[in-house]
Amino acid sequence: MNDASSSRLWAMRGGFVLLVMVILFFHLLPQQMVPRAWAGPEWVTLFAFAWAVRRPELVPVLLLGGLLLLADLLLGRPPGLWALLALLAAERLKARAQTLRDSTLAAEVLEVSLLIVGVSAAYQLVLVVMLVDDVSLSLSASQALTSVLAYPLVVLITHGVMRVRKSAPGDLETAP
Amino acid sequence: MAKDRSTSQDFTGPLRRLLLAVMILVLGGIFLIWRIDSPRVERFRAAVTDSIVPNFDWAMAPVNGTVQLIRNAQSYRALAEQNEELRRELRRMRAWKEAAVQLRQENARLLDLNNVRLDPRLTHVTGVVLADSGSPFRQSVLINVGAKDGVVDGWATMDGIGVVGRVSGVAANTSRVILLTDASSRIPGVVQPSGQRVIIAGDNTAAPPVDFLENRDLVRPGDQVFSSGDGGVFPAGLLIGTVAEDPGGRLRIRLAADYERLEFLRVLRHYGIEDVPDTAQVIAPSAPLAGLEPRDE
Repeated sequence: MNDASSSRLWAMRGGFVLLVMVILFFHLLPQQMVPRAWAGPEWVTLFAFAWAVRRPELVPVLLLGGLLLLADLLLGRPPGLWALLALLAAERLKARAQTLRDSTLAAEVLEVSLLIVGVSAAYQLVLVVMLVDDVSLSLSASQALTSVLAYPLVVLITHGVMRVRKSAPGDLETAP
Repeated sequence: MAKDRSTSQDFTGPLRRLLLAVMILVLGGIFLIWRIDSPRVERFRAAVTDSIVPNFDWAMAPVNGTVQLIRNAQSYRALAEQNEELRRELRRMRAWKEAAVQLRQENARLLDLNNVRLDPRLTHVTGVVLADSGSPFRQSVLINVGAKDGVVDGWATMDGIGVVGRVSGVAANTSRVILLTDASSRIPGVVQPSGQRVIIAGDNTAAPPVDFLENRDLVRPGDQVFSSGDGGVFPAGLLIGTVAEDPGGRLRIRLAADYERLEFLRVLRHYGIEDVPDTAQVIAPSAPLAGLEPRDE
């Protein structure tokens, strides 16, 4: 691992932090004061998943956990719970990144969709068990649904615009 | 090559697993602490928000302005009819204004006759809305006045017309206002003219339903709802909205505050209602009290 690739690695990690900040910024923009009947996708988690599948080394555990916790704090969720579940899911994706690298996009979308639904269900379950009165089943179901629908778009942005791509077999020697 | 990679994974594997375990413990711990001692963690959340969100401010104003501009451009198409409607409304308002001016004069006269002293502490501080809750699950806004401006948890906030919500979470420079539409918002109100006491319980919809209504027959759609001041945290007599009936027959409140555009919020300073310490001296007739007096001393 030489100096150039190491600085590039940190630049890409910085890019992820910036991306999360931009997403949070647009979430916090005071535009939506009237309650809606449905919820949009969980962008931070989706991008974390897309990056974890493509370049696991760009979203290390501590960085991802910290950013997810920050999102929990800023967006008024019970702090720590969503971050914990999403982090576990991302780690699972990282462990399967080797297999997913060789598979098709459809397989990846399916895997991620299952994880999103699983994380949402577990999140609601824990909230119910812990008696947190924050439960809105229709909202969280619509959030899971829109997240699943939005994932291909996130992949498109990650792959096309940010140029975070699965490492090809030839890249492995140079990959840090 | 393949062997190389597996050994490098063996090398980083335990460290990664350790970091993951640490992270799981930290995140799970924070959630458990929040569940057990929520105020402390909420204060921490307010402090984090306070240190981050004001930094976004320089970018938020122009981006927000641009988004508004695009939204307005969409509504310019409907401008002609809107104009016509506004004219009609204005004509109606003129009549109301006349009535209001007369009422104000009458009110001033009556106050003068009664020699009423208005509470000088009932003043307000106005804040700008910095951010919304950022999540469809929560209905709250962040305003740019906080503990430095003397804001205290529980104070009422209004826009120009009606109650918007209650301050919940004060940091040094910012404070969070839970809107009446939030699922955790409960505000005691009174329906006029019948005087029925109700609780306005937010449920994440635009029009919060009415709860704990004693006699439904006395309340009609169109009645006005004011804050009642029960419980002492909220000042009494602030306009909340009007009663409306939803298709399911449930009474809801059409809020008077314009939630579409909350830009400035007025935080009402409120130092609680003073207790009368000894009720007997106030309520009981004086004769038996006088008889009791020697025994008391």
